[in-house]
Amino acid sequence: MTKQSIIKSAVGILTVLSLTITGCKDFLDVNNNPNKAASAEPKLLLPSAQTAIALVLGNDFQIYGGIWSQYWTQNFGNSQYKSIEQYVLQGSSFDRPWQTLYADAMEDLQLIINQKGVAKYRQYAAISMLLKAYDLQLLTDAFGDIPLKDAVGGESGNLSPKYDSQKEVYDSIFSIIDQAKAMIDPASEFVPGSEDLMFAGDMDQWTKFANTLKLRAYLRLSEVDAAKAQAGITALQDADFLTDDAKITYISTGGNQNPLYAELVALGQYRQLRASRTLVSQMTALNDPRITAYFQLSGGVIKSMPQGSYDTNPNGASTPVPAMGADPLTPTSALAPVKFMSSYESYFLQAEAVARGWMTGDATTLYQKGITASFTAYNAVPGTYITTQVAAFPATKAAQIGAIITQKYFAMACNQGFEAWTEWRRTGYPTFFVTPVVSSLPAGTFPARFLYPNTELTRNPNFPGAKLITDKVWWDVN
Amino acid sequence: MRKSLFFLLSTLLLVGQVVAQNRSVTGTVTSSEDGSAIIGATVVVKGTSNGTVTNMKGEYTIQVPENATVLVVRFVGMKDQEIKIGTGVKHNVVLFPDVTKLTETVITANAIRRDKSSLGYSAPTLKNDELTKGQSSSALNALAGKVAGVNISTSANAPGSSSRIVLRGGSSIGGNNQALMVVDGVPIDNSSIIGGGDSRSTVDFGNRGNDINPEDIESITVLKGPAAAALYGSRASNGALVITTKSGKKVSDNKKNEVTFTSAVTFSNVAKLPELQNDYGQGYDGVTNDPRENWSWGPKFDGKVQPWGQSINGVRREKPYSAAKDNIKNFFETGKAINNNLSLSGAGEKTTYYLSLNSLNSNGVMPGDYDKYNKYGIRFNGTAQLSNKFYTSVAVNYNKINSNLIQGGQGPGSVFNNVLQTARDIPIDKLGNMNDPYNSYGNTVDANGNPTYGFYGVYTTSPYYILKNFHNMNDVDRVSGNFTLGYKPLEWLDVLERLGADVYSDRRRYMYPKFDILPADDVPANDPKKWYDQVDNRVIQLGKYEEDQYNLSEITHDLMITAKKDFTPDFKTSLMVGNNIRQRVFNTLETQTNDANGLVIPGWYNLDNSNGPVKTFNEHTIRRLVALYADLNISYKNMLYLGATARNDWSSTLPQGNNSFFYPSVNGAFVFTELTKNTGLSHILNYGKVRASWAQVGNDANPYLLRTYFGKTDLSSGFGSLTFPFNSIPGFTYGNLIGNAALKPEITTAFEIGTELSFLDNRLSVDFSYYRNKSKDQILNVPIPPSSGFTAKVLNTGVVENKGIELSLRGMPIRTASGFSLELFGTYTRNKNTVLEITSGVDQVVVGGFGGMSIVAAKGRPYGTFYAQDLLRDAAGHVIVNANTGLPSLTPTAVYLGSYNPKYQASWGTTASYKGFSFNLLFDTKQGNQFYSRTKDITDFNGTAFETAEGGRTDVPFANSVVDDGTGKLVPNTNLTYSKQVYFSAHIPAGQHVIDASYIRLREASLSYRLPRQLLNRTPFGDLTVGLFGNNLALWTAKTNKFADPEVNSGGAGNEQGFDFTAQPSLRNYGFNVRVTF
Repeated sequence: MTKQSIIKSAVGILTVLSLTITGCKDFLDVNNNPNKAASAEPKLLLPSAQTAIALVLGNDFQIYGGIWSQYWTQNFGNSQYKSIEQYVLQGSSFDRPWQTLYADAMEDLQLIINQKGVAKYRQYAAISMLLKAYDLQLLTDAFGDIPLKDAVGGESGNLSPKYDSQKEVYDSIFSIIDQAKAMIDPASEFVPGSEDLMFAGDMDQWTKFANTLKLRAYLRLSEVDAAKAQAGITALQDADFLTDDAKITYISTGGNQNPLYAELVALGQYRQLRASRTLVSQMTALNDPRITAYFQLSGGVIKSMPQGSYDTNPNGASTPVPAMGADPLTPTSALAPVKFMSSYESYFLQAEAVARGWMTGDATTLYQKGITASFTAYNAVPGTYITTQVAAFPATKAAQIGAIITQKYFAMACNQGFEAWTEWRRTGYPTFFVTPVVSSLPAGTFPARFLYPNTELTRNPNFPGAKLITDKVWWDVN
Repeated sequence: MRKSLFFLLSTLLLVGQVVAQNRSVTGTVTSSEDGSAIIGATVVVKGTSNGTVTNMKGEYTIQVPENATVLVVRFVGMKDQEIKIGTGVKHNVVLFPDVTKLTETVITANAIRRDKSSLGYSAPTLKNDELTKGQSSSALNALAGKVAGVNISTSANAPGSSSRIVLRGGSSIGGNNQALMVVDGVPIDNSSIIGGGDSRSTVDFGNRGNDINPEDIESITVLKGPAAAALYGSRASNGALVITTKSGKKVSDNKKNEVTFTSAVTFSNVAKLPELQNDYGQGYDGVTNDPRENWSWGPKFDGKVQPWGQSINGVRREKPYSAAKDNIKNFFETGKAINNNLSLSGAGEKTTYYLSLNSLNSNGVMPGDYDKYNKYGIRFNGTAQLSNKFYTSVAVNYNKINSNLIQGGQGPGSVFNNVLQTARDIPIDKLGNMNDPYNSYGNTVDANGNPTYGFYGVYTTSPYYILKNFHNMNDVDRVSGNFTLGYKPLEWLDVLERLGADVYSDRRRYMYPKFDILPADDVPANDPKKWYDQVDNRVIQLGKYEEDQYNLSEITHDLMITAKKDFTPDFKTSLMVGNNIRQRVFNTLETQTNDANGLVIPGWYNLDNSNGPVKTFNEHTIRRLVALYADLNISYKNMLYLGATARNDWSSTLPQGNNSFFYPSVNGAFVFTELTKNTGLSHILNYGKVRASWAQVGNDANPYLLRTYFGKTDLSSGFGSLTFPFNSIPGFTYGNLIGNAALKPEITTAFEIGTELSFLDNRLSVDFSYYRNKSKDQILNVPIPPSSGFTAKVLNTGVVENKGIELSLRGMPIRTASGFSLELFGTYTRNKNTVLEITSGVDQVVVGGFGGMSIVAAKGRPYGTFYAQDLLRDAAGHVIVNANTGLPSLTPTAVYLGSYNPKYQASWGTTASYKGFSFNLLFDTKQGNQFYSRTKDITDFNGTAFETAEGGRTDVPFANSVVDDGTGKLVPNTNLTYSKQVYFSAHIPAGQHVIDASYIRLREASLSYRLPRQLLNRTPFGDLTVGLFGNNLALWTAKTNKFADPEVNSGGAGNEQGFDFTAQPSLRNYGFNVRVTF
């Protein structure tokens, strides 16, 4: 090879190289993700957000609420929930529920709400706003001050949301509900169908949901700002409230099951959660027929364990019935619903509003309807229970509130644990909670909140600082 | 070949030198390496030019003057040897290889062979014999302790188990931190996909880098820093392992093929089991002796015979109530493995070839032959000189692996977990016969026809049942190799095209049984001794079949044009320009039967047997990269060297129009002893070099990070899940990772200085480096608070720094003419890793762990720091106990607890040789690191850990504790007691399971004997060596670590290290081997 031919070949090679580079553009255009979708319509996002809220409400919050309401207690020989009984918690335990409520549910709801200007999506947006209000209330009742104004703004650049006071969160809940109510149009040709897992697009039910949620939220302020609560509730006079449960019902198909059941099955199908003596002894004392509607017989009787006695009490206490989702050995537990708000809750809320004189009506009747709805929900035969209880419906306002909340506690037993515990925090009812055997807190001291998740502590420069589980939230002033 | 050539030269030089002689001295010159005769060694009377050379048998005869006392024997590549001749006539001489191998060449980046002296960076090389001495089945594990700056985590040290290799500390917060593996110039895949779901239920199918057969490796050069590896571009920011496989050699008679057969039989035992208490047995609360308990919180042993387990036909078994001391140890059996290698190599005039066949068959330490790992390999390497101007080579490697491995972690499929959860008096090692009704597990039936179990435990699964019925099967087929075509038209010009491919299919099948069994116990329901409630003690598993398929296809092309020009004999240059194109396609298809409802029919493993919708995950990823690079080298007088590289990459994973990035490197070396080589100093310091380098390496992103996507909704509640379609309604959710359309490449900058020194005729050599690497603008999924609506955003952020020193010493204090030599070597590595920044306001990125204990990259701390709740202490370190319970209080949030990165590593080894014997020892140590041990957690929980019975079990105040006296003042706690059972089983925080991972290990020991040639003369063998070997033979751990080998890991070879989530225990391996050539 001569020198010239070398130069020629070098030029040739460089030409090939430069062609390679210029041809690069197409060659390198392979970064379109074939594994994910670029867009999704509201009707695909709505059911996802609903199940996300229900996943937290029906599993994590149900377990904490159920144990802290002393409906059930950790079984002997199993160990999943010991630290909850001990009141020894870690922030990381709340990472997942917090993330699900914000990043899975609220983010998707916000994407729907952002399209409220499009007629086709307006009813979806109205529902999404109500669910967002519900989601916010769950979060603030559990954690206190939470990100509100800056929440779910990650994609627009807000990576470190500031926290807003619980008071502001409540103000916002009322305002979001009002906006949503104004958007509801049952006559719209664009109402959702079965993808609305709660009411299948029945917008009248959503109006009732809105009113009941608002009533519940205002009552939550009864102790901290009675005037505001009263004003808000008075304005609800004559509003329609829920007479049916706002709930998601599950099926037996794997992946579509009641979240508590699914969790317990995945944990090895141990009956971790058993009847607490706190609840059982009270129901027994009152001859409450619902006891066998709530718990399964063990050796022919309802057996219970003292709260937090898992180290010392091997005699198999009763397991909740399948309708509560907490029995992993019975496949029908998969069908247990998760109740966002129940019909009996609706009546008890109204009864309290009337008892407080903030709405007009017959507190006794509403109270009785609440108990009846609870019996009906679990196919229990009340016998003389209601008349006895109603006969005992006290005369003074304070005592009436006590009776209403205590009956609400019994009605929510094993199915609305978080709400029951939250109402106990607000009102102090029921009054018969015991210090768990293994409590790490001084006798008579109970948790007053969840801990902020670790993910906020370590990722959010605007995180306001950790709280203790005994620090009360803003509305908890008693 | 080199011997005969040299023989010729020496003969020519020495011909005709005839001096007046007085007497004749004779002898044979042999090599210390293999005892073979050295042909062509020169033998000279010291101080004269009077000499001769050895003949074809290595023999010499020399006439020496009467007054001569010393002969000097020399051979290239060997150390000069002086012998005193005294009055004797016969003097045999053994020559030792020149340890520092100053003329050594090193295979560097892109398979370019360089003179080691010319390199401006550290590039230690290990040869095959150094790698295979300890007979590790992993080429990566075989590096442990042998090279400074290399951190190998050997995990279980079993055939096929994971090994992680990190050079100079991890630099990438979210990405890969392992060295790039390159075989014959072509990068190969070293993926590590954990089997069994996640690191809490790991099946360790290993990392693909371990597929390579150590026997096929000629050498491994460790390019520790980006400077050395810059030519590899993006993936070299973690350094590279440059592996060169064997090629055919032209043997002396030039016609014969060399056939080598090696075989090793390896026996294995568990290296370290937790230390257990032997005072308290089955039961709880210190009083109750519950016969179904796995807990060892029962009464103190009294040795009295008593019933245990279930009642069958009215009878319970009986045994003395005393500790079954070795029940766990004896559960395991001795593992066995046979590793056979057959290689054929040879050469024609213009061709060489190397063909090897390998089989590795192993039956591990679990009882029975359920844990099996079989690997087969074929390699063919050939070269041909096609004409004077063209040359070509081809290398093809095929591997087939089939294995059935055992799951670790927690849950019903983990053998180790269920074995550890055994009360101290239960002879778990004797419960293997499942035909015995008391050991049965679903293979007996009750009167109603329901399957039953007679196994004693209701909270654990019979480990024998697991072994027999839970399968984790793996089939790998892998073909990799390369083809090169070179054209050398002129002496100074070389054009090389190389095409490499790495293609594999990794198929995994998991079969977990469906069962629903009742206790066999026949005590009537109303009997107070009725422990086995039929409902409460029913044992259920839903069963699962899962089939996962991972397919890789990676193609790499390089075109390199090299021009050399020597301007003067002292001033030489070379310039290489090249083009690299790479494509990587990875496909994942994971399918499993419904994870909430399992199987329909027990015992049938097929997706058709899914009880509900099959769960699937499929992903197709493709990435491409085009690069141009250049490499310039200049040398002056074998003394001054300068190298520079430049590379520009275009990547498919970065935003179009902004996907080009350039990065340079420069390195230099100064062999200063060239200035003193003829002075007296050269006897003391015979070689000295200083080197320095600086480099930048850019890196692109993973595919598909430029925008945010929607995905099908699949929510997890921790253990359970909610999956769409929900009751046939579809659902989608916006992804939790915010994409970034403005991504730019990340940049690592590295700086290194070092020196290589040899003293006293190479009897002592030193290699020292100081380096500092800084990696910034990392492409990272930065965790963001979920209240933002997302959990992470892709950002260019984060800075990680590694700085440290590396020191290698090698010396030969004893070397006698009779052939005895003692060689010592040692390494010391100290790397300081610091995560300088993540992004504003973000303290940490989680790289592993679980809810209660994370392994994180946290700002201001070393990468891989443990983060967990711990005991609450006052300023003086006393534990603060809870005034109500007497139990220790816990920190209100998780706290940082040290890192899995050792503060320093060191090794020490020796090789003693005498005639055909060679004895080798290697110790290595890591100090100052931590690990999380669930082995500790679970034995604490179970009341079996040694520490649960230390000082007895009566309630006492927590040691050295203080308590709030009610006024906020902390006073010594003298009267508040705590229950050990409550503390260890339910209260102890995860931080207490993060313990000192320091160790000293006898990494390797071997003894080999090479039979003298004369014994083999009448056999077909050309060479025969027999040996004994062992690896991981002895382990000394920190005082606080009474639990596990700190190298075991549940996170495979990924960034999740120091994570013993009841990981498979590591193995001590030993055995014998033979090597013959024909």
